[in-house]
Amino acid sequence: MISTVYNRKVIILIMLAGGLFSSCKQADEKIPEDYEVATAWADMTNYIAKTTPSNTPTFSSRCLGYIGYTMYESVVNSSTEYQSVAPELNGLGALPMPEEGIKYKWVLSLNAGQAEILRNIYIQTSDENKSKIDSLEQHFEKLFRDKNPKDSNDNKSIEYGRMIAQRIFEWSKTDGGHRGYLKNFDKALVFKERPGCWRPPLYAQSFSHFPLHPHWGKNRTFIASDSAISDPAFISYDTVPGSAYYNQFKQVYEKEKVLTQKEKETAIWWSDDPDETFTPPGHSYYLATLAIRKTKPDIVKCAETYARVGIAVADAFRNCWKWKYQFFSERPNTFIPEHIDIEWHSFWPDPPFPAFPSGHAIQASAAATVLADLYGERFEITDSAHVGRKRDELRNADFVVRHFNSFWEVAEETANSRFYGGIHTPQDNKIGLEKGKEIANNVNKLNWKRKPINPI
Amino acid sequence: MTYRLIVITIVTSLITPTGFCQSHFTDVTEAAGIKHVFKVFEGMFGGGACVLDYNNDGYEDLYITGGMNDDILYKNNGNGTFTNVSEQAGLAITKKYVTQGVAGADVNRDGFVDLFITTITLRNEKKAIPREINIFLLNNGNGTFRDATSEYGLDSLYSFSTGGSFGDFNADGWPDLYVGNYFNEYYGKLSYINDNTLVGANQIAKGYLLLNEKGKRFKNVYADYKLDFRGFGFGGVFTDFDNDGDQDLIVNHDFGYKRTPNMLLENHYPRSNFKDVAKSFGMDVKINSMGAAVGDFNNDGWMDYFITNIHFNWFMVNQGNGKGFVNKSTELGTHFFAISWGANFGDFDQDGDLDLFVANGDLNPYCVAMADFYFVNTGNHFEDKARQAGLNDYGIGRGSVMFDYDNDGDQDLLVVNQEPVLTYPVPSVTHLYRNDSATGNWIKISLKGIQAESHGIGSKIEIEAGGKKMIREIDGGGSSHISQNSVIAHFGLGKISKIDKITVYWTGGNKQSIINVAANQSITISEIPREKWNYNLIYIIVGLIAVAAGVIYWRNVKSKP
Repeated sequence: MISTVYNRKVIILIMLAGGLFSSCKQADEKIPEDYEVATAWADMTNYIAKTTPSNTPTFSSRCLGYIGYTMYESVVNSSTEYQSVAPELNGLGALPMPEEGIKYKWVLSLNAGQAEILRNIYIQTSDENKSKIDSLEQHFEKLFRDKNPKDSNDNKSIEYGRMIAQRIFEWSKTDGGHRGYLKNFDKALVFKERPGCWRPPLYAQSFSHFPLHPHWGKNRTFIASDSAISDPAFISYDTVPGSAYYNQFKQVYEKEKVLTQKEKETAIWWSDDPDETFTPPGHSYYLATLAIRKTKPDIVKCAETYARVGIAVADAFRNCWKWKYQFFSERPNTFIPEHIDIEWHSFWPDPPFPAFPSGHAIQASAAATVLADLYGERFEITDSAHVGRKRDELRNADFVVRHFNSFWEVAEETANSRFYGGIHTPQDNKIGLEKGKEIANNVNKLNWKRKPINPI
Repeated sequence: MTYRLIVITIVTSLITPTGFCQSHFTDVTEAAGIKHVFKVFEGMFGGGACVLDYNNDGYEDLYITGGMNDDILYKNNGNGTFTNVSEQAGLAITKKYVTQGVAGADVNRDGFVDLFITTITLRNEKKAIPREINIFLLNNGNGTFRDATSEYGLDSLYSFSTGGSFGDFNADGWPDLYVGNYFNEYYGKLSYINDNTLVGANQIAKGYLLLNEKGKRFKNVYADYKLDFRGFGFGGVFTDFDNDGDQDLIVNHDFGYKRTPNMLLENHYPRSNFKDVAKSFGMDVKINSMGAAVGDFNNDGWMDYFITNIHFNWFMVNQGNGKGFVNKSTELGTHFFAISWGANFGDFDQDGDLDLFVANGDLNPYCVAMADFYFVNTGNHFEDKARQAGLNDYGIGRGSVMFDYDNDGDQDLLVVNQEPVLTYPVPSVTHLYRNDSATGNWIKISLKGIQAESHGIGSKIEIEAGGKKMIREIDGGGSSHISQNSVIAHFGLGKISKIDKITVYWTGGNKQSIINVAANQSITISEIPREKWNYNLIYIIVGLIAVAAGVIYWRNVKSKP
C-alpha cells in the first residue's frame, strides 16, 4: 500500500514530465521553470531514499548534504550575487570555475549534476531506481537543449554540472560515511554496561540488537566549526522518584496515558521510519521543496535552499550521533519498566540507538533555522507528505495533513512527536532543538553571497 | 538461622496440601550425559531440539542443534543415560552449517524417522549474505543417516531459515513441511554481489510450503496453495484450530507490529489452498512471535495457543465454533515480563489438565538473566511454580521439548540454552529435567498410521475418562520454538484408573475408537484402513442426482396449467 502511494507519486511526476515534454514538442511551449526542475530532483532524491533498502537517517542526511550542495555549486556561477562556499567547507578546497566567456545553460548543469551525484552516492539503489534517475535526466536534457546543436554550449553546461558532482563525490569518499549502508551495525562492537546506559530495545523498530552507526560521530562535518560545538549538559542518572532524571521519564510515562488523538497522529506522522519513508532528514528536504514551490525563487536560491538544508541536517546528525554514543543514554522503554511500571512500553517502537539528544529534534531544528533565515520566521506550510498512507491500525491513528505558521512550529512539533511516541524524554528534545540551531547558524554564516565591494 | 529457615520451609511444604502433590523436576543433565550448548552466529537466533526414536528401540532419542557448535544426536541408552552418536550416525554434513531448528518425520514411510534441519549460513566461510540450504537427513534404518537434501529437491532453496514443521496438509499420509524464513531468499552467486544486493539482503521473507511427493521429493507449493505473504518468520505449526479434520497452519512472525502479523491459515482441504483468516479470528497477533504451544488447556475440545513473545506472552484461548480467539494471559495468570521462546503444554503433574512450561532467555550479546516459567494449571488459572519445581533456570533459554525419556509415564523436559557471548552471571547450558512427580495416573498413546502419517503427525486423539474429555494433537514440530516434542501423546488422569473411550481422528478423516483401557500404560493404536472415497464417483453420482432433480422439476412445472 505504501509503495503504491509512492509509486503513484512517481507516476504523477513522470506523467507531468511526459506532459511537459509532449506539449513542448507539439507547440514549443511550457518549458518548466527552473524551480520546477530543482524540486523535481528533490522529489527524486526523496524517492530514492525511500525505496532504497537499508537506508538510515544518518546515511540519508549525509546524502542530502552532498546532493543539495552539488545543486548549489552546479549553478552558483550563474549569479553575480552568490559565490561558491567550497573554500569554507571542511577540506574540499576551491572547485573549478566555469570557462570565461561562455554562456552556460545553468539548468542543464543542475540537471546533470543532480543525476550524477544521485547515481554515485546511491550506488546501492536498484537498477530500476537508477533508470528512473537516468530518465529524469534525459527528459530535462531533451527539453532544454538547443534545437540547433551547432555553436551550442549545452554540452559544456552538462559537463560542468557533472564535473562538479564528481568532485564533490570524490570529496565525500573521505568523510567516514562513504558506503555507510554497509556498516549500519558493527557486530564486533562491545559497549560497557553501566546503570542508565542504552540497552537494545525490546519493543523495537529494527531486528538489530546492535546500535546504528556507532562510529558516525567520528565522521567529518561539512563545516569545521560544527565539529567544535560544545557538548550539551546531561541530567545525571538517578532512580530516586522525584529526582530530575526520574522526572524526565515520569513525564514520558504520564504523557502516554493521556495521549490525545491529535498527539497520536503527530507521533505517527513524524516517525518517518527509514524502512517505509524518506527518513526524518528527507522530511526536512521535503519542507524545503514546499517553501520553494510556494515562493518560486530563482535557480540559485532554490539550490541554496537545498544546500543549506542538506548541510544542516547532515552536520546535525553527525553531531547528534557523536553525543548519542558519548552519553550512550537509555530510552524510556528501558528506564520506565525497570523503575516505574513493568507493564509499560512506548506508543511507538524504539529505534536501535541511544536516546540523547533526539535526532528528530536536532535535524528539524537545524532545517527550520536555515529555512527561516532564507524565507522568514513566519511562513505558512501545509505538509501533506504522508497523506494517503494506510491508517495505522495498531495505534488507531490516521495520517492527517499538517498546517504550520512557521518553520519553528514544524521543528517543535517534530521534537514533541518523539515525546508523544514515548521514545524521547523532554531533555532529549530540548537539547536537540538547541544544538540544531547552533549547527544551522554555522550554515547560515557561510558566505553564500559575495560581500559588496566598497566603492573607493 | 539458615538451618531454621530450611526446617520451616520443609515443614511448610509438608503441611501445605498443594505442596504435597506438587510436581518436582530433577536436573539430570550431567548424570544423563547431556553436554550441550547452542552457540549463536552474529546475533540471537537459534537453538532447537527434536524428540525422535531414531533406532526404534522404544526409547526416545534427541537431536539438538548447535548453531556454531556441532549438532548432537543423543541415543537414549534406556538406562537414564544418553550417548552422543553423532559421529557413528553420519552427521558430519551438519558441521558445515550454522544450524537453527529441527523436526523429524518418516518422510519416505520406511518406518524410520528422518530429520529436517534448518540452517542460516556456513560455519567456516564468511558470506557477504548469510544464506544456505537446509539439510534433509534420511534415516538408513541401521543407526545411520545420509544426506538426501539434493535427492529431495531441497538443494536450491538458499534461505535464512528458522524452524521447520511437519504436517500432512493434503492428508495423503506423506508428511509435508512448512519452513519459516526470516530474511529473504538469495539465489545469487557470490561473484554477483554488489552494494544493491547487500542492502536488499535483510528484507522480510516468504516461507516454504513443501509438499511431499510420495516420499520421493519435496516440491515448494507456496504459490500453488495461494500463499504470497512475507514476514520475519519464526516457523509455524500445523494444527486443526477449527475442528474440521484437516491441518491448518499458524505462522509466527517477528515484528508483527511493524511488518507482517501472525497468520492463521485455514486449510481448504480437499481443495489445494490455504486462506489467511487470522484477522477475523483475532489471531493476527502483532508481536515478536517466537513460537506457539498447542494444547486444549481447558478441556473444551478446542485447541488453544500460547504464543511466546518479547515482554509478555499471549495466551490465545479458542472460543470455539468460529468465534475466534481471545488473549487471556492476564486472567489466566501467565502475564509475566520475559523474553520467551519455547513453550510446551503438558500435564506434568498428571492431574487431568495441561500445565505449561516456558523457556525464557535474553537476546545475545547483551543479556539479563531471566528464569524459565513453569505454570501449573490450577483449574482455569495458572501459577508459576518454576522455583518450587526446580525449573527456574536462568540460562539463555530457546527451544524446549517434552518427552518421557525414562519411560516412567510422565513428561520430562529438555531446554536448549544459548552460550552467552559476553559475561553472564550464571552458567547457561542445555538442561534435561526428569519429572519426579509420582502422583496421578497416566496413559501414553502412540499412533501407527497406515493411510495417515505413520506416527500420526496431524492426527488427534480424544480420551473420555471420569466424565471428562481431553484431546491431544501429535506434534510434527513447531509446538514450541523451532523444536519438536514427542509424537507419543501423554494424558494425565489424576485418580482415574480406567479410560472409557479413546478415539483417534486420523488425518484424512478416518476415525476409530477403543473402549475400556486401563491407566498407567503405553499403548499403540494402529490405523484400521478404510476404502478411500472415490471423488470422481461422488461427482458422477451428485451430477446424476442433480440432473434427475432438474428433470423432475421441469416436468412438474410443465404439468402445471
